[in-house]
Formats: sequence, structure tokens, C-alpha cells
Amino acid sequence: MRIVEIVVSPIIAFVIGIFLLGLSRKIMARIHWRYGPPITQPVIDIIKLFNQTSMSHGRLFNLGIILSLAGSMVVVLFLPIGKLHPLSGSGGLLVILYLMLFGPLGIALSGGEAANPNTSIGISRTLVLALGYELPLILILLAVMSHYRSISIVEIVRAQQETHWSLLSFPLVVPGIAYLLILPAILGERPFELIKAPQEISSGPMVEYGGKYLALATIQHAFSSFISIALFVNLFLGGSSNPGFFIMKVIVVFVVEVLINAVFPRLRIEQAIRYLWRWPALIAFAGLILVYIFKR
Amino acid sequence: MSIEILLIVAFGGAFLTYFLGKISHILRDAFAVLLSCALIAFISYFYGKDIERPLYVGFLEMQLLLRLNTLSWFFAITVSTVGTLSIIFSLSYIRQRERTDFYYFMMLLVNASMLGIVLSGDLVSFYIFWEIMSWSAFLLISYNRGPALAAGMKYIIMSVIGSIGILIGILSIYTTCGTIHMTQIAAQLTAASSRYIIFIIITFSVGFGIKSAMVPLHTWLPDAHSQAPSPFSAVLSGILIKMGTYGFLLIMYVIVGMKLFLGLGSGLFSVNYILCFLGAVTAVIPTFIALLQNDAKRLLAWHSIGQIGYIIMGITLGTSLSIAGGIFHLLNHAMFKALLFLTVGAVEYRTGGVRDLNSLGGLIKRMPVTFTAALVGALGIIGVPLTNGFVSKWLIYKSLILEQHPFFAFAAFIGTWGTLLSFYKFLHNMFLGQLPEKYKDVEKAPFSMQFSMIIFSIVIILTGILPGIPLKVINAIQTSFGFGPLHITIWGIISETGTINMVNIFFALIGACVIVWLIFRAGPKATKITQDNNYAAGAAIPKDRYHYTVDFYNPLYRMIAPFLRDFVDEFYMRLAKWIQGLGNGVRRIYTGDVGYYVIYIILFLAVLIFIQMKWSIW
Repeated sequence: MRIVEIVVSPIIAFVIGIFLLGLSRKIMARIHWRYGPPITQPVIDIIKLFNQTSMSHGRLFNLGIILSLAGSMVVVLFLPIGKLHPLSGSGGLLVILYLMLFGPLGIALSGGEAANPNTSIGISRTLVLALGYELPLILILLAVMSHYRSISIVEIVRAQQETHWSLLSFPLVVPGIAYLLILPAILGERPFELIKAPQEISSGPMVEYGGKYLALATIQHAFSSFISIALFVNLFLGGSSNPGFFIMKVIVVFVVEVLINAVFPRLRIEQAIRYLWRWPALIAFAGLILVYIFKR
Repeated sequence: MSIEILLIVAFGGAFLTYFLGKISHILRDAFAVLLSCALIAFISYFYGKDIERPLYVGFLEMQLLLRLNTLSWFFAITVSTVGTLSIIFSLSYIRQRERTDFYYFMMLLVNASMLGIVLSGDLVSFYIFWEIMSWSAFLLISYNRGPALAAGMKYIIMSVIGSIGILIGILSIYTTCGTIHMTQIAAQLTAASSRYIIFIIITFSVGFGIKSAMVPLHTWLPDAHSQAPSPFSAVLSGILIKMGTYGFLLIMYVIVGMKLFLGLGSGLFSVNYILCFLGAVTAVIPTFIALLQNDAKRLLAWHSIGQIGYIIMGITLGTSLSIAGGIFHLLNHAMFKALLFLTVGAVEYRTGGVRDLNSLGGLIKRMPVTFTAALVGALGIIGVPLTNGFVSKWLIYKSLILEQHPFFAFAAFIGTWGTLLSFYKFLHNMFLGQLPEKYKDVEKAPFSMQFSMIIFSIVIILTGILPGIPLKVINAIQTSFGFGPLHITIWGIISETGTINMVNIFFALIGACVIVWLIFRAGPKATKITQDNNYAAGAAIPKDRYHYTVDFYNPLYRMIAPFLRDFVDEFYMRLAKWIQGLGNGVRRIYTGDVGYYVIYIILFLAVLIFIQMKWSIW
């Protein structure tokens, strides 16, 4: 049974993640009064890219991208998708938080060997932006963990299903709002698409990727989009008892996020940090203090 | 076999090495390596034994005592392992330098004195070994001369202040308890007032805090670590500053005792809470100061302070989980920080002493083994899963969260992110990116260097996947302090509040890597290209310097740099200036003219005669 779960979880994450990428392009196009590409466009792209020739800068260049995607796949095994959580017994939320490092770190190492200054600038932005949203994110996660007195994400989901969603309960609504405010930064969506910024730094970390490398990087992006929303759904929207509902919640959160953020222009990196460390961080901090005061 | 032989071999061997060096260099090198390996073998032999032996009786009618238990065994094996690997690394690092006999002598002496510290069972021999360690470390820090002399001076001044603190503590304990034996003191202190115990803890904390570089007593460390020869930086950062944490463990949980220590003060003002707070400050601010450094060794040095913060948080929080995390992190930090200093040493050795992060680059192509070692070390200090740093940090985070200290946990997490950023910069600026023309023919590190680095890397990965091996010993240590035992298995820890299973994580990651690799292999084979063959949006790539390193995190620097000055250091420096001014003022008395001195003597005699006539004391 567990073997089946281990196989099924990453497949669900992959399919949904890719679907979300296509969906976001479609929605974005409609907001711009364009028709937009078909929703299956990312799939077509990946198949096309896999058949193209590509260039490699060395072993770490290959290894980094493999590690990045593998790390993201493993996170899914620890994250409850409905009732599917095959490996969550081997470590809790802290392990998820750390495994999520593999994604950006793998790309960063791989891109580092590419020896292209555009890549380096892109990675520097990635890591600075990550520090930017991690500060509120850590406060948020600590608020949730302190409130439920557990570091197990399965326990947190169960506690919500017995009572009600964290987003609708008093002290936790505050960190919930903060999470919604930083979600576009985690996803790398507008107005935080400064990592790739094609007009400035030629797609940043992606600049040296072509062919199958770009395909793997796209798949990794799909996984990480799914993971960051699934984390929100698990922590604040009560997870779900079956995968179908869970996926529904993920898609709804994503669409709301895209609709709100599609109209913003791109921020510069220091504007992004200033934003992230001002309102979301303050709200998250207030949330943690509230949780600390109103101990269960 | 008894343990005094161990110390005799360690100290005697150090002296012998110096004289062997006068005969032949090869003999000396071989003897130094053999001696350190023999010490590891010796100490491993004592595993699990509990020995207490008198060393010397006649010292002012006090009995000096040697004592070996799990705590001292754990530290002894760490000291001897890191010491041995640094000696092996030194074989090629120090060969072309001058005063090599002296160098080996001092290295072995530092290691021997640290073994002495952890094996001593009374406070007087502890203090003697402590001073031998401090002074021989001073001589090694200033080995390079030039700016190293100033760094050594800063170190030894702070060290002496710390020693005075420890000495006051020892004297006070001796006058109160009438004994210097740790176990007897522990028995007598149970009846002491809590005020007295706080006094004892403060005096000892000054000494141990300075040695372990806890904020605000850290200011000697960045200079000393960056100026010392690299293999000794590894010893300094890996184990010497851990003697401070050993001292903390000793005073808190062996001499004062767990119940008494955790009961001091109340609520926010309890002693362990305050120390934990200092640990949290130590974990955050130095880490972000490290982010701003451009000297590779200075960056590592600031991170040493930061990681000490995690250890202090772990051992002062005072639950069985956190103590285990703190002690495990101490071991792990010894491993990965020693490794990182050695990799910088290897780069420095091959590039002719360059360790400026803004002028290196692309060395992965020339020194692949060194890069791999640096990567493992960096992953360890960040705490990425499958390295030992992950398990110990997990234990510390978990205990901070479950003990309802979310703000301390926040400090620990954000410190980790600072570590990630600065270690990516460390790896990128040295090993990744474009290889400058002048380093095109850099050779790979010599064998002895590679050997030490590979052993350290293996230890880091092995204890990361099978953390049960060291945790078993650590569990024994913390049960000997009186904490409840943890449920340790070879792959991690089982508990109701959260299990961790590193072997599962390992197989999941390996499995995922294999799957992705298969997909990767299925695609058409990639053409291998050089670094000149880059996409630059139509522009030609300039040949030499096209490496984005200077101000790597520029937007972030501009935001955080104003807040990250080392205010403590500035304060001490102002204090030192003021004292110097005072000294200058006092010196005016000494004019150098004999006539003035005659007047002083006559005035002094006059005062004496006046006192005698008025009060007739004598």
C-alpha cells in the first residue's frame, strides 16, 4: 500500500503542477485581452525540449539539476495530499522545510558551474528573495507549530479536521493572511518574477539551460509551485481527507493568487525585500505573539 | 594500561617531535602522524570505561586527579580525530615554511593540553592544562607574524581575562568547599545558596564564554581564526573553542548539577534562559556579519561564532532532547568547520596564499576533490538532510519549538538562512563561475590534504545518514547528567512528539535521484562546452574577468549592512584606548631623570616617617 502511495504522490504533484503552469499562462493571457496558449502548452514544451540537443558545462551542471528535481519530488512524499502521506512518519514539518532547500540549492549549484554572469546574478536574486520570504514564512510556521504544539504536519491536519480550519480560527488567521501575502514570492509569480526577468538578465538561472535541462527545470518549477500551495492548504485550509478535494483546494488558491497578482508590474529586488520584511513580516510577527499570548 | 600514560605519551611525544625535527624532517613528520594516530587508538581503547586515578599528590597538599567518563571520552576522541587530520593536512601545507619544528611541537602540545583538560578530575589540573592550551594557541595564532601578531595579542589578552575569571571561581570554590575534586564539590554545592551558585556560574562563564566566543565575548575570534595557519584554524575552530562549551557543560551539569542549575532564578530571569538568549543572539548576528565578509577564512570565523550560538542554545535549554542536540552539534561543528578551514587552506596553498573571495573563481575545474569537500562541509553547516548538521539542528529546533520558545526557534531558523546565503557565496566565489586566466594551471591539492578532507567528508555523511552511532554516546552523556534517556536507534530518534528516520530520507532521495537521472539519460546526449561558450545576449564574452562576485548580494548588503557593525568590538577597542591613555598618563611619572626618582624616594620615606610618628603602627 505504501509503495503505491510513494508512486502516486509525485505523479499527482507533477500533473497538478504542470496544469497550474498552463492555467496561469491562460488566465494571464485573458487578463491581457489575449487568447493565450492552450492549457497543455507546458506539456508540449517539455516533450519538445526533451527531443532537442542541449549543452552541458560539466558534472555539477548535470548533477545540480538532477538533485534539484529529486529533492522536490521527495518533499511530496512527506507532504500529506489528502490521505496520502507515505513518508511523513520519518520526520515532520522541519524535514519538509529543509528538503525544500534542495530545489533552489540544486539549481544554484548547477547554474554556478555554467559560469555565466547572468546566471550568477539570477541566483543571487533567488537567494536574496528566498531570505526575504523565509523570514515571514518561518514566523508563520512557528506560529502554527506552537499553536498545535506539534512539529508533525499530519497531526496539524488532523487537529484542524477535528475542529475547524486554521484560517478561520482566531489567532491563526493572522499568520494565514501573512502566508497569502508572501505566496506570490514563494511561487516566483508576479510581481516577484524578478529572478527570471528575461528582459534584464536573460532568464537568470535558466540562461544556460537548453533542451532536456530546461525541461527538467520546468518540471522542478511545477513541483515547487504545487508544494508551496499544498503546504498552505495543509496548514491553513485543513488539508483534506481525500486527494480530490485537496487538489480542488490547491487549484482554487492558485487561481485566486494569479487573479490578484496578474495586474502588478515587476518589482526590483530591493523593493521586493522591503515589501516582504515590512507588511507580511509584521503581520506574521503579530500572529506569533498572539499565538504566544493565547496559548491553547 | 592506565590513563596517565595517555597524557605522558601526548606531552612527551610533543617534546620529542621538536627534537626529532632537528635530526630529520621526514622522521619528525612520520613521528607526529604516528603519535596522533596512536592517541586515537589509545582513546578508543578506553571506550565505555569509568576511571578515576590520582595523578600527583603533593601539590600544596591537594590531590590532583585524572578522571575518564563518557563525557571526557567523547571530547577526547573528537580532539584527537580533528588534531590528527589537521597534522596530516599540515604535512604538505607547512613543508615550505620556516620554523616547522616549532609548528609541529605547538600543534601537538595544544592537542595534548586539550586532552589534559577533558581528562582532569579536579579544578587545579584543569586550570593548568587550560593555561597550557591558551598560551600554546597564542604562539600558533601569531605564527604567520605581521597582522597575525596583533590578532594573537587580542586573543591572549581576552584569554587571560577569561582565565582570571576561572581562577576567581576556583579559589572561591576552594575556600567554600575545601576541596578541588569535581565530584566532591558537586556533593557540597547541593547545600550552597543559589546566590553563591549564580556567582560561581558568572565567574566561570566569563572564562568559558571568552574561549567559546559567545556574544558579547567573541571579539578575539574573527582575527585569530583568519590569521592563524589554516590547519591550526581547523583545530582552533573545530575543537579549541569547544573547550569553552566543555567547560559550560562541566560547570552546569557536572559541578552545579542539573536540578540546581535549571532551578536558578525564575521565568524569564532564570539563568539558563538568559544564557539561551545569549545563544540566540550569538546564532543570528554573527551569521549575518559573516555574510558581509570577503575573506574566506574570516567568513568561516564569523560562522564559528554563529554555530556556537546553536550549541549554547542546545545545552542551556535543558531538556534531554536539546542537550543531545547541543552536544551532537558540537561534534558536527568540529567536523564540518575543520573541513571547511582545510579546504580554504588547500586553495590558499595552491593559489599562493589567495583567500580573497572576490579574486578567485572557477576552481572546480582544477580542484574537484577540494570542491566536493567544501560542498559537503557547506551542506553540513547549512544543515541539509543527509549531513550530520541536519540531525543536530533538527533536535535543537524541535526542542525549542516544543518547549514553547518560538522566538529562539526563529533565531535559529533565520540564522540557518544566513548560513545558506553566505555559504553559497563561499562556494560560488571560490569554485564556481569563471576561472580567471592566472589560475588556469592550478594543480589539484596534494595527497595528504585530500586524505584529511576525504576522511572528514565521509564522517559528515556517515553520521548524517546513521546518526545513531554518535547519538548513542551522547545519550549516555546526558543520562549521566541526570536527564531522561532518549530512544535512539541507528537511523535516528523515535519519540511520540516526532520521529526522525534518516535512512528512509536517504533512500527516498537516492531513489528520486536515480529516477530523475534515468529520465535525464533518456534524452539526447548533451555536448560539453567550455566557459567561453556562453550566452550573453549577443555580446562577446570578455576573456578574463567576467565573474559576478563583488558584492554578491548587493541589494541585501545595502539594507542590512548599517545594522551589522560589531558594536561590541568597537566598545572594547574604545575601552582599550582609554586604558592606554590612562597608562600614558601614569607613565609621565617616570621621567627618566634620576633627580626626580630621588625626590620620589625621599617623599615616600617622609610619608612613612610621618605615619610612624603620628600613629606608630610598626
